[in-house]
Amino acid sequence: MTWWRRAFPLELAEEGHFSRREFARFLAVVSAGFTAGIGYLWLRKKPLEGASDPEAKHAELPVALGLAADLQPGQSRLFKFRDEHDACILLRTPKGELRAYRQTCTHLGCAVRYAGERLECPCHLGFFEPDRGFPVQGPPSRPLAAIALEVRPDGSLWAVGELPKPTLESLDRRADCPREKTEVTA
Amino acid sequence: MTQPQITRVRISPAALGVTLVLLVIQLYLFETVLGAVLDGQRSVLPGAFFVSLALTAISLFLAFRSTVEHRGGD
Repeated sequence: MTWWRRAFPLELAEEGHFSRREFARFLAVVSAGFTAGIGYLWLRKKPLEGASDPEAKHAELPVALGLAADLQPGQSRLFKFRDEHDACILLRTPKGELRAYRQTCTHLGCAVRYAGERLECPCHLGFFEPDRGFPVQGPPSRPLAAIALEVRPDGSLWAVGELPKPTLESLDRRADCPREKTEVTA
Repeated sequence: MTQPQITRVRISPAALGVTLVLLVIQLYLFETVLGAVLDGQRSVLPGAFFVSLALTAISLFLAFRSTVEHRGGD
């Protein structure tokens, strides 16, 4: 008998035995783990990192973004909103409308960039349309978090808060989402 | 000379299958809830928690209580 078998006297046949009941109990414990996870999310007051938080309790501090007229269609500019880690992107769509989104891709959190006609995530080639931030191609399945903008009488542009993400209840999303437009028209 | 019959208690295959299905539902529920929370929709959490709790209770009941008796030496 080798030294390690003497040092670790394991009966492999018995060690490999895993009864049906033990397996069922394992599944039940994993199920309880999911319940605990949901309970943790429920009790946790602070939003998850990178999560949308349109109902922020603290007062939003407006952030100056320069003059609205400085940004031409197809151009973009980066800015920080709530803190130095909250990277956002301001852009003017080809239609001439100003939009701002949180720069965090809803797939795995890479920074999206504006590529003229759509926002793109270079990590996994996810694309979002610039008008509403809906995903149109690639792995992301949820829209980007949108930032509310305000143009003041002097022409200055301000980021003033976060817009709630659109839901099926809040708007006719199926008609407005380009990815699902084919399903509507079909 | 007859040998005494041994009674063994096992979990039934049906109960094990139901437990597996419940776990798949739990996985889907958790993924959906996580997506909703990342979108800022926390209102789904209380309902999802109690649904998940009920599924876990059923899983635990099946794992510990659902039995089938087998008579015989093996």
